[in-house]
Amino acid sequence: MINIKRTLGRAGRSSLAVFVASAAAPAALSQQSAWDTAGFVENATFYRDGPGLSKVRNTAQFEFSKNFGKRFGLSNFRINGTLRGTYDAVYDLNDDEFGKNAGGARSFENFASSNAQIIYGSTSSPWGQSILGTGAGPGFGFDLGANPNEGLKVLGEDFHDPNAGVTLGVPVRPCDEDRRGCGLDGFTDFDTNDLRFPEFNDQLDFIRELYVEGSIPTGDFSELFLRVGKQQVVWGRTDLFRVLDIINPVDYSRHNIYDELEDIRIPQWIASAEYRWGAVGPFDDMNLQLVWNFDEFRPNILGQGGSPFAILDANSFFRAMNTCWDYGCTASNFVPAGALVAAGAPLPDPTDPGLVAADFGPGVIGIRDVNLPSGHDQGGIKLEGVYKGVGFSLNYYHFYQQLPVLRGDIPSMNAFTGEVADWDYLIAFDIDFPEVDLFGGSLDFYVDSIKSVFRVEATYTTGEEVANSLEPDLYSDTDMFRWVLGWDRNTWIRPLNKNKAFLLSAQVFGEHFLDHELEKGPLGDVGMPNWEDNYIFTFLIKGWWMNDLLSPQIITAYDYEANAGVVAPSVDWLINDNWRLMVGFNIKFGDGMGDQEFDDCRGCNPFPPYTATPAHADPFQSGSVGISGIEPLGRFRSGPIGSASEEDEFQVTIRYRF
Amino acid sequence: MLKRKLSVATLVAALVAGANFASADAVDDSFYPYRDTVPEFPGLSSGMTINAGNVEQFKDILDPAVYQQLKDGWFEMKVGDTTSFDLHPNYVEATRKSAGQVSLGDEVGQINGFVAGRPFPEEPLADDPRAGEKLAFNYKYGYNWGDSAAIYPFYWKYRDLDSGKIERTLKFNFHFLNYKHRVIQEPVPEFEDNPSDLFRGIYVQVLEPFDVKNTQLLIHRSDNDLERDNTWLYLGFQRRVRRLSSGQITDSFLGADLMIEDFEGYNGRISDMNWTYKGTQNVMLPFFNHNELTLATDLEEPDGYQFVDFSGKGGCFPNITWQLRKAYVLESDPVDDNHPISKRVHFIDAQTFTIPRTLIYDRKGDFWKSFIIGQAHPDHHLDKNKGSGVSIDDAFSFVDVQAGHCTTGQFKGQVDPALNAPKLFTVQNLRATGR
Repeated sequence: MINIKRTLGRAGRSSLAVFVASAAAPAALSQQSAWDTAGFVENATFYRDGPGLSKVRNTAQFEFSKNFGKRFGLSNFRINGTLRGTYDAVYDLNDDEFGKNAGGARSFENFASSNAQIIYGSTSSPWGQSILGTGAGPGFGFDLGANPNEGLKVLGEDFHDPNAGVTLGVPVRPCDEDRRGCGLDGFTDFDTNDLRFPEFNDQLDFIRELYVEGSIPTGDFSELFLRVGKQQVVWGRTDLFRVLDIINPVDYSRHNIYDELEDIRIPQWIASAEYRWGAVGPFDDMNLQLVWNFDEFRPNILGQGGSPFAILDANSFFRAMNTCWDYGCTASNFVPAGALVAAGAPLPDPTDPGLVAADFGPGVIGIRDVNLPSGHDQGGIKLEGVYKGVGFSLNYYHFYQQLPVLRGDIPSMNAFTGEVADWDYLIAFDIDFPEVDLFGGSLDFYVDSIKSVFRVEATYTTGEEVANSLEPDLYSDTDMFRWVLGWDRNTWIRPLNKNKAFLLSAQVFGEHFLDHELEKGPLGDVGMPNWEDNYIFTFLIKGWWMNDLLSPQIITAYDYEANAGVVAPSVDWLINDNWRLMVGFNIKFGDGMGDQEFDDCRGCNPFPPYTATPAHADPFQSGSVGISGIEPLGRFRSGPIGSASEEDEFQVTIRYRF
Repeated sequence: MLKRKLSVATLVAALVAGANFASADAVDDSFYPYRDTVPEFPGLSSGMTINAGNVEQFKDILDPAVYQQLKDGWFEMKVGDTTSFDLHPNYVEATRKSAGQVSLGDEVGQINGFVAGRPFPEEPLADDPRAGEKLAFNYKYGYNWGDSAAIYPFYWKYRDLDSGKIERTLKFNFHFLNYKHRVIQEPVPEFEDNPSDLFRGIYVQVLEPFDVKNTQLLIHRSDNDLERDNTWLYLGFQRRVRRLSSGQITDSFLGADLMIEDFEGYNGRISDMNWTYKGTQNVMLPFFNHNELTLATDLEEPDGYQFVDFSGKGGCFPNITWQLRKAYVLESDPVDDNHPISKRVHFIDAQTFTIPRTLIYDRKGDFWKSFIIGQAHPDHHLDKNKGSGVSIDDAFSFVDVQAGHCTTGQFKGQVDPALNAPKLFTVQNLRATGR
């Protein structure tokens, strides 16, 4: 060896060193590693003002990974997995609110109805015993034996009074206790154990992740990276709300919008391939990613009617409507008493100025079915890079809308005649998930003069569908433009902490409906309930003390059009490497769901002329005249914050890591 | 006639050679200060211990913080022989080639004519107003970890100075890669595909504990010192890459007592500081032979490698030996008035241009933090490090004397290009490595 060194000289030794290093490189890269394992057990207990316990979630999570080195032509062939199981004891400990004993018998408003006062002794009539009920026509009335007045809540009762609007009855017990409203298979049909143990389902959600990955080197900087399996693929640069981060659907039933997306994205079986050029041309980093979600389609999980976290309370509405379709239902304040008198109904007080409830039979109104796309064909492409210090991406993704749309184009029974047809403007729906194409991009960059990082995302989508009471089928599609601007800055607030700066982070989300429709009807607005333009602001201030062991923070979010906000102060204490305690509040402010109303289609005249109102110039012409109420569409104007206005909580989470 | 021509040519050659010899002397003086003699101090001898009982005798060869800590009995200093830490001959040769061709620009942070090696090997002059800046450049372009290296793994422990309680233990991998001014590993002297003219990349991955696992840090430092670093952080619990503002560079990193800007003694731009050369002195510095230490037994690696152990007050001080070495005292005070410190005083090792000692003062000017980076000789370390000519960062102690807290670091430094593929130093790698 010495002779070789002498022979080669200094330059030669350098070359030799390089050669040895180069020869060693593949060996080092292909080294196997031991199994890397970690995990935690956690209890999260939330107490809600009013109902009491709203979550007693016990979680065990186990993560494992192993690098097998060079295998199957791939360098760094690796297996990663995450298993998670939870048991939410709230369904046992507070079953009066969220379990087998939830709900009860309910009565439904007959606003200002003198006849209701005469018949029932109040303006409320019991479930299934409405003034407009059995005998009024083939589509009225239902079997109280099969659809009893028990285990019910009035739609929205936790958030608002009926306010002369239409409400429905919602069965709120788990589906093994009460099958009503559980006919939407795969969407909202959770038994007690499904709610207690949400990961242990047909989709094997206890496998949070299980994928293999590896790369094929193509140069010093470049490689082809492959990953296949159940995984999360995260696009975008924003927190809390999603603009580009749409590949995996989200489970909002876990904790509305407030859990880390990491914990609530629903992993999907996905194959991704990335070609990483590294530095190329004027770009410091360039990467092209192809994503194919070959899993079955999964919509966002919205929570079930009767579960503690049901974003927008949407699935309460869906469950109520499915109950209507399958079993029949009572709808409050549905018909002016005067209309019944005019139709010849023998009411005790023919001068009744009020509204009366109606009992609809099965197959008249409601939600008939959910049409889940088979999936297997969602996918997209992302080009991402860094140019002169500016990170950027261009994105395209083809997918199915993860939030449901109600399409009113199904055959149903005319309540008055018994005729079955696809009635225009009738609130009889199937749930669908249309195909959407998303085009988007993102940027992040640093502005030194103000010591700030900015994050930008923007997307344009085609194919999304939303409710629209101007359309005969009560929905229409619209192109959408969404954007977010984020700002992050570390800022010293030395009177509070002289040793560490605070993180200030603000975001503005914008949403614009390019095909928004809204018209003035004779009695109110008609069209799309969503705001044509809306903005949500978020702000985070986070500090650290005791070498980051203690970290208080305040998160606020405010929905501009809904005039609804939330403030969530919390303290995170890392007791040691194993134990962690988080204590916080989640307090809503501003307007609630009860402050938003929209066309509820009581004036849609779906069965002309029987359902025509005086505002219909032609009683044989269907179409909405804009009678409004809080339910069911006020929730879309309240948004996820306003529609949870009554869910103030105190939250304690303790975690042990191993 | 021919003879006269030859004589003139010989004379010119001799003059040119003489100039080169002068530069070569400066280079040799810079890289081999102990080739003829080593510094001495009355009463100081290898194998002895400096402690509270005899510290006054050695006050002149101790920096103020170490002096006070010894006086207060926070630790005892074992004295070793002064040994030469020869840097790699390619680095020395690169310095020799560039000698006399490098100059500072008009603005702080500008440098002209630099290719590779030590930009300013000449002794700093007290009357040179930019002597401090030249020393800072010598540090920035120092041989440091060589063209690439990894600390693989790297343990940090957060400790209570009074009780010695270990509050947190973090396990990292650190990777370093020079894109330019390379002297050994191909490509030399730089990578071709370097559109932003980066000088260096630093990639950090957190392995433990669970709450910060998969957190990753990536720093891209431009060769143009006037350009701001680009820094990204991948947060495992968010699965998202976030760009860091400069405010986060000067903030506690993951709760440790040091900030990103403190890494390696100073991890920022030359132009972010005002640099003042305060003099040259022989001072006790933490240089040692790793394999000759009594090492820790609690974090043993599969290959049998053992880390430097810690003891003393709060367990905050490495069990190492110290040498009397030539050091440049360099003061840096931040240009930004909002910076959390008022100044750092660096004791730069004259031979290696590492920063084994740094004293940090708070905004009021009070002494705040004391930083020791123990330097191990590569020939007494892992086999793969032998002959690398890299002064191996081997242990650090970062003591916050005001808060009564410290962070200690235990390194497994590996000069191994296979651990530092360029693709590690990309934003995309953060996403790919994260889960």
